[in-house]
Amino acid sequence: MKLIDALKLAALPIEEGAPEKKVFLACGFTPLHLQTFLTAGLRTTFPAHQVSSKTGLFGDLCGSIERLQLQPDTYDLLIVVVEWSDLDPRLGLRMLGGWRPSQMAEIVESAARTGSRLQSGILAASRQIPTIVSLPTLPLPPMFPTIPSQTSSTEIQLRHTAMSLAASLVQEKDVRVANGQYLDEISSPDTRYDMKSDAMTGFPYSLNHAAGVAEVLCRLVDSSRQKKGLITDLDDTLWSGILGEDGHDEISWHLAQHSQLHGLYQQFLASLAGAGVLIGVASKNDSSNVEHAFERTDLLVSKSDIFPFETHWSSKSESVQRILRIWNIGPESVVFVDDSPMEVAEVKAAFPEMDCIVFPKNDYPGAWKLLRYLRELFGKPALTEEDALRLRSIRDSKVWRDARDISSKVSEDDFLESVQAHVVFEPVHSRNGARAFELLNKTNQFNLNGKRLAASDWASLFNNSGTLILAVSYTDKFGAMGKIAVIMGSVRGRVAVVTGWVISCRAFSRRIEHQCLKYLFDTFDVDEIVFDYQSTPRNTVLQEFLVELFGELPKDEVRLSRELFVAKAPRLFHNVQGVAHV
Amino acid sequence: MSEQEIRLLQCFASVFPGLSDGEIRETSAQSNGAWDSLSTVTLAAVIQEEFGLDVDEEILPCLDSFKAFRDYVCRAYPATN
Repeated sequence: MKLIDALKLAALPIEEGAPEKKVFLACGFTPLHLQTFLTAGLRTTFPAHQVSSKTGLFGDLCGSIERLQLQPDTYDLLIVVVEWSDLDPRLGLRMLGGWRPSQMAEIVESAARTGSRLQSGILAASRQIPTIVSLPTLPLPPMFPTIPSQTSSTEIQLRHTAMSLAASLVQEKDVRVANGQYLDEISSPDTRYDMKSDAMTGFPYSLNHAAGVAEVLCRLVDSSRQKKGLITDLDDTLWSGILGEDGHDEISWHLAQHSQLHGLYQQFLASLAGAGVLIGVASKNDSSNVEHAFERTDLLVSKSDIFPFETHWSSKSESVQRILRIWNIGPESVVFVDDSPMEVAEVKAAFPEMDCIVFPKNDYPGAWKLLRYLRELFGKPALTEEDALRLRSIRDSKVWRDARDISSKVSEDDFLESVQAHVVFEPVHSRNGARAFELLNKTNQFNLNGKRLAASDWASLFNNSGTLILAVSYTDKFGAMGKIAVIMGSVRGRVAVVTGWVISCRAFSRRIEHQCLKYLFDTFDVDEIVFDYQSTPRNTVLQEFLVELFGELPKDEVRLSRELFVAKAPRLFHNVQGVAHV
Repeated sequence: MSEQEIRLLQCFASVFPGLSDGEIRETSAQSNGAWDSLSTVTLAAVIQEEFGLDVDEEILPCLDSFKAFRDYVCRAYPATN
């Protein structure tokens, strides 16, 4: 992005009354164009918000961060940009404190002390505000006694200080640290420093570098639009070769057969599966051949990582349709990968919202780009327990549905009674809220109003003692689903006000929605529940539920009395456990 | 109006978004209350990026009006174009 475009974007008019997104940019240098690029990037990320940013004092990065603790609830987001001169001013060019070899040890010690102080300050601030950190991006000055191509001991110790700071910060749930390797790709290290600008204005970044740093930081602000599932072809995609022609012994994915690309792809899919991404197979093959192939012990992705397998001779779009139905997610949340441009085009025509990619067989740079791109689509700021449970839970749900179909002669009540369901209601706190936050931002079909929360909105909820957030976990004899619902709101006297309510599509048809309401009525002893309901193009399941309760879709304020609920609710068979509320 | 002046007007409009083209042509640090030292630095950066120029540090304080910037760009741009 050019500065002129950033200025135009930052100055775009905002709807009157738009909520404010207050950002504190902590940096030791004059923020100048970095602030402009950041404001422009955040305007793009939060188009419905008015973005305002404040900065701290020049040359006092630590103090600026520490003083934030005196102003709790003032900001929605803290962005910390650290440069070498913040660790010790002699590491910049604006201070002439001396570069004698005899001073190096003291510079290293001073940088380490500042690093510790920064760590404490950032950790304390991050407990109040979601925090994003960029660690030194500029080159160290030519201050060391070695020739530039030789690393000096001092330089290594300084880099160690910065890396130690990074290593401690990435452990924190509410801190995200910018990836230096990614920044290297969009901002060449040799054009980052603008010495003239540093000397004239105190702003050390070239415009291109300022744009790059801002881009990386803005990408860390919002990661709620990640994909959920990947559907892959098998022949010449998951492996090299045609299973039906070559046989399961001859398909390959190793260096010796010049098919390592496919091994990397398998390894990558296993990594995605481990992080909770759904992996399905859509392949024109005989299923018995595929069964044999997956018995090979040298496959890097196992059969248990994949569900379901659609292996037959129907069209790929039909297979994809079936997989989407089993996963119960929309095509916009899924990526399809196949080596055949024709198959990719066929699926794309059927599902225009789906990201459909031709597998780059025999194309090493293309394969590298593909893996990078997939990581971009599926990467997560942090893994939750539910990520590990997701695939098993969907598999269990399929078993559940199959069992329900087999038991179709049995009444629904009898079936639900037989599944031994166990529901746990647990208050969500700032430290255990990652999954609840994810659910609120990703769930579409059973979503009270479709409102999405930025990390800063989420964090600020915990500063309001009146806010009640419950996470709901579900287990039955078919397996554990983990946290599958979230209810958010407050209790005012005899009325519960529900401002957010989502249930994962995996958990439908279990009467969990009824149990949620029963729990609110019983546990909080309220006579009425008021819902902040809004219809969205996608919350049809929630709308059907409201029609079931009210006889029609409510047009105005949605209020549910205890009497109406008792009259309308079906029998519930869950064994309910509530974890103590504060 | 030359293509160069149109681009210069766009640079000024990005820093002073409320001004019309006519107002920009007449604007200066003296007449424009929104024009501060930060505006000068931002204008210089935008114009440097837009025209591929390297604004001389000593000249910067003299670039205190649209006309001054236009004259500067006219003088410098042919050499860099």
